[in-house]
Amino acid sequence: MISLNVNDQNFEIDADPDMPLLWAIRDLIGLTGTKFGCGVAQCGACVVHLNGEAVRSCVTKVSRAAGQNVLTIEGLSKNNDHPLQIAWNEENVPQCGYCHSGQIMSAAVLLREKPNPSDADIDMAMAGNICRCGTYPRIRKAIHMAAELSKKGGITK
Amino acid sequence: MTNKIKNYAKGHRGITRMTYVMGTILSLVTIMAFALHEDEKPFVASKKIVVVKDSVASVAAFHKVYKVLMSPRCMNCHPSGDIPLQGDDSHLHTMNPQRGVEGKGLYAMKCANCHQPTNTPGKNTPPGNPNWHLPPANMKMVFQGRSPYQLAKQLVNPKQNGNKDLKKLIEHADDGLVLAGWNPGEGRTLPPMSHAEFKKAWITWLTTGAYAPKAK
Amino acid sequence: MSNDTLSRRNFLRTTGLGSAGLFLGLYLPDAARAMIMTEHEALAADVYTELTAWVLIEPTGKVTLMCHRAEMGQGVYHSIAQIIAEELEVDLASVDIKFAQGNEKKYGSQLTGGSSTIRGSYKNSLKLSASARVVLTMAAAARWAVPIAECYAESGHVIHKPTGKKFHFGELVVEAAKLKAPENIALKPRSAYKLIGKPLHRKDTPMKTNGSAIFGLDKRIPGMVFAAVERNPRLRGKIKSFDDSATRKIPGVTNVIKIAMGVYEMDREGVAVVATSTWAALQGKKALKIEWDDTGFEHVNSLEIFSKQRELLKTEEGRILTTQGDPNGVITQSKDLLDVVYETPYQSHCAMEPLNCIAHHRGDTVEIWGPVQAPNWIQDYISKKMGIAFEKVIVNMTFLGGGFGRKALTDYPHEALVISKAIGLPVQVVWTREDDATQGPFRPGISYRCQGVIDGNKNISAIKFRMAGQNNDHFRSGDNGKANRSTSEGWLKPYFESIKNISFADVTFKTPIPTIFWRSVYASTNGFAYESFVNELAHKSGKDPLEFRREHLKEERTQKLLDKVAEVSGWKNKGKGFGMAVTECFGTTVAQVVKVSKSKGGKLKIDQVWAVVDCGWYVNPDIIHAQVEGAIVMGLGAATIHEITFKDGLVEQHNFYDYKMPRITDIPPIEVHIMENNEDAGGIGEPGLPPFAPALTDAIFDLTGKRIRKLPFDMASI
Repeated sequence: MISLNVNDQNFEIDADPDMPLLWAIRDLIGLTGTKFGCGVAQCGACVVHLNGEAVRSCVTKVSRAAGQNVLTIEGLSKNNDHPLQIAWNEENVPQCGYCHSGQIMSAAVLLREKPNPSDADIDMAMAGNICRCGTYPRIRKAIHMAAELSKKGGITK
Repeated sequence: MTNKIKNYAKGHRGITRMTYVMGTILSLVTIMAFALHEDEKPFVASKKIVVVKDSVASVAAFHKVYKVLMSPRCMNCHPSGDIPLQGDDSHLHTMNPQRGVEGKGLYAMKCANCHQPTNTPGKNTPPGNPNWHLPPANMKMVFQGRSPYQLAKQLVNPKQNGNKDLKKLIEHADDGLVLAGWNPGEGRTLPPMSHAEFKKAWITWLTTGAYAPKAK
Repeated sequence: MSNDTLSRRNFLRTTGLGSAGLFLGLYLPDAARAMIMTEHEALAADVYTELTAWVLIEPTGKVTLMCHRAEMGQGVYHSIAQIIAEELEVDLASVDIKFAQGNEKKYGSQLTGGSSTIRGSYKNSLKLSASARVVLTMAAAARWAVPIAECYAESGHVIHKPTGKKFHFGELVVEAAKLKAPENIALKPRSAYKLIGKPLHRKDTPMKTNGSAIFGLDKRIPGMVFAAVERNPRLRGKIKSFDDSATRKIPGVTNVIKIAMGVYEMDREGVAVVATSTWAALQGKKALKIEWDDTGFEHVNSLEIFSKQRELLKTEEGRILTTQGDPNGVITQSKDLLDVVYETPYQSHCAMEPLNCIAHHRGDTVEIWGPVQAPNWIQDYISKKMGIAFEKVIVNMTFLGGGFGRKALTDYPHEALVISKAIGLPVQVVWTREDDATQGPFRPGISYRCQGVIDGNKNISAIKFRMAGQNNDHFRSGDNGKANRSTSEGWLKPYFESIKNISFADVTFKTPIPTIFWRSVYASTNGFAYESFVNELAHKSGKDPLEFRREHLKEERTQKLLDKVAEVSGWKNKGKGFGMAVTECFGTTVAQVVKVSKSKGGKLKIDQVWAVVDCGWYVNPDIIHAQVEGAIVMGLGAATIHEITFKDGLVEQHNFYDYKMPRITDIPPIEVHIMENNEDAGGIGEPGLPPFAPALTDAIFDLTGKRIRKLPFDMASI
């Protein structure tokens, strides 16, 4: 059995230690907000936070996360009101929406480490996340908006 | 499943044993401090006479060392810019991950977010190492684009090499990330010689005076 | 999003509006309805009343609107509701939206392709929703015994104006459903719209920011298992033998089955690994050792494909789609003919959500859950292929993590059903990214020979277009001996007025590579060839490309579009590095201007893209902006980054490391403008894509003098 703490909840799962964290989260724990996109750390659809870092769960073995803190999109906020979530809604960012769990989880690390990111910072943080619908211009706008919202004390909703 | 756990543990024991052997080898090399002279003068040890100067042997050894350091397995993480290189053709790493202050990436793009403690199985997957990183921003140790002369001078300059003395330089041949060059993951070419050959050339170069090939 | 909230209620089987004439003119008797009601729907059967096929109202006043088309990013989940809510008079914020099951009789075609959802249904939708509002109003008036004219509907209520009395729709719906709506109900004029035309926030966005939207891969059915399939990598063909001994040792693997998936008329063999988790199935797939039998399969190579197309175009006249005047005569006599070939590559769709599907074969009924673009095609294909009654093929749609045309094919639901039939359990088949990228069907690679003559007035006197590339229809309905009906897709009709001698022909070209529509279909490749050619002719005649188009596109609506794109891009005072193109497909015309420059280091950069869209009547301008931005990004990838190539019958790309995608760092600023008019609605999911590549390459020509006739090209090499 492997112990995982996901979104502040403890889980004991019976998994092959080599199973990627992605499949443990989706198939064993049942949280499907984290997506499978490429399986080889190319697209970022599977990004979750492992002790605060935006790891790609498709190549992260569940054994690496044992006893550690995992945060998925479902745990980012209680009421869909993290500044990034508010901004994503305000700027109408998603189209198909499939990549945005990963986009938001990546952007969350950026904002934590650089609360007022420049366009260059956004490039450096977000170039690992592919969006096939091409929502990139709106992702950029929404990150800037979320930074503003955070400055004002965040949640205005 | 239990089998896998056992294998995993066995792997660790293997590494431990290897480290022990390396340690023994190292203890045979006399440990000393050294001082580096600027300009063209070769590199000498200050106390015990362990460095036997031999510019011909030293330069010959460095040429071997240079071949390894300029191979994609080494050079890709010693880029001239702040983005690592990728692949046997040493192209800029897709998605432009940045060096960051500590050489471990930035924001959502930290090396360890994709590069796991071990190689990820399969082709075109991230190679792994527990300490995957680039040289830090204050000691970039660029290989890309350096001539043999420039690289040789740079490697032994404590201001450029992270303040490494001869002992530390010799030890560095067995650094985990250096060794990772010889365990690059599926589908990647190996450096042009074995690690043992490389290490021998490295130590020979350093202990024959660390002469730099002539600048062109 | 849950389809289950309607359960535990009593479904009142009132057909609604007194006559089913409102069901798109199709009456469905109760018996037939009972038959197509699924087990799932039957459970849900309950106290809501179905006022139209799209409007369900509960006694509490709760309104649920149905989305009968696939939501793959283009926004119909929201925009269908935005239309209905306008004439029904309900608050969009308070309605629920649910995906309809496959039911062509009830909803009309549910094929989500050709940018057809809004343009194909909005008139009917406005009328139906207005009728629903009117019968609710009639019911209220009858209950109050007041004239109907004294009553009006607002926010899900009918209000008696003189007294202020009100009923919510739930209190009226049972009676309303028995009433017949009058003919010729006046629809709101555009100026009276409260919702339509407004950039409202999409109702699916909140679900897509907290992980709660259910895509195909997220759907779970009680008792379901997982499967992954190793299919013949040469796109067709069989299995000689396989060794599954290593696979069977993997914990969690329960079954290994040889299967055949129907891809159009052919069967493609593979080995399915069924397991208790996705990971176990994927590992089991990797551990298979299979010897393939490729007998009869031509091992195609990209180089040969394109050189053969070029060869054919040297001599073959092809099948004429359309012709006027005597282009051959003018061309033969011309001493100054422009005669060039353009080449566009095969492409994979690579939606972010890899293909997947859940299927449950229950014997005489089968059920599908998944990201599908064409529920009715699945019903049709499965009923024929597997011998199941059409109405016993139940298809449930989830959100699609992108579709772009690929998810209209019936192969992956069929494959899932074959596996479910073999194991007797519901199964989710998961395709890896590599499966998705390598196994097609693909957008066909096409070569175009374009010949043109400029007359003494420096205008086009003759144009002859021939394309050599695969015809998607040949896979779906066979070769009927006619030209590809999409040979001129993308080309603006007003050109036919000004260019007296013109012809479009399709030089038949076949390979065993399965192909299918890819966002904007043939316009995505035609647009590059035809509009690049117009640009080349403009340069040859020494005219400005935009002015040249003004002279050849005299129709008023197009002139206005050209005025607008000139205005927003500052065309009049432009410097170097500007290019433009205009294409039309699926009822919408889009003009784009691209501006490029070179940095001091000589690196080529796209500084800005301007797009002007004429789609006539529209619902949500923000969705239009988003679709055009996205189409430009997708067009950028297809023009400058990725292509699918074949070597020895195998696809050479596998995943995003060798089939690379545009990333946030590659995207220029994009400005989108919409033309305001009262013309019929056009489509919006696709038409923004085709003009980008020819506008970009002409901008590069303008800056550097270099003409690009082959896609994709590497921006860094210019």
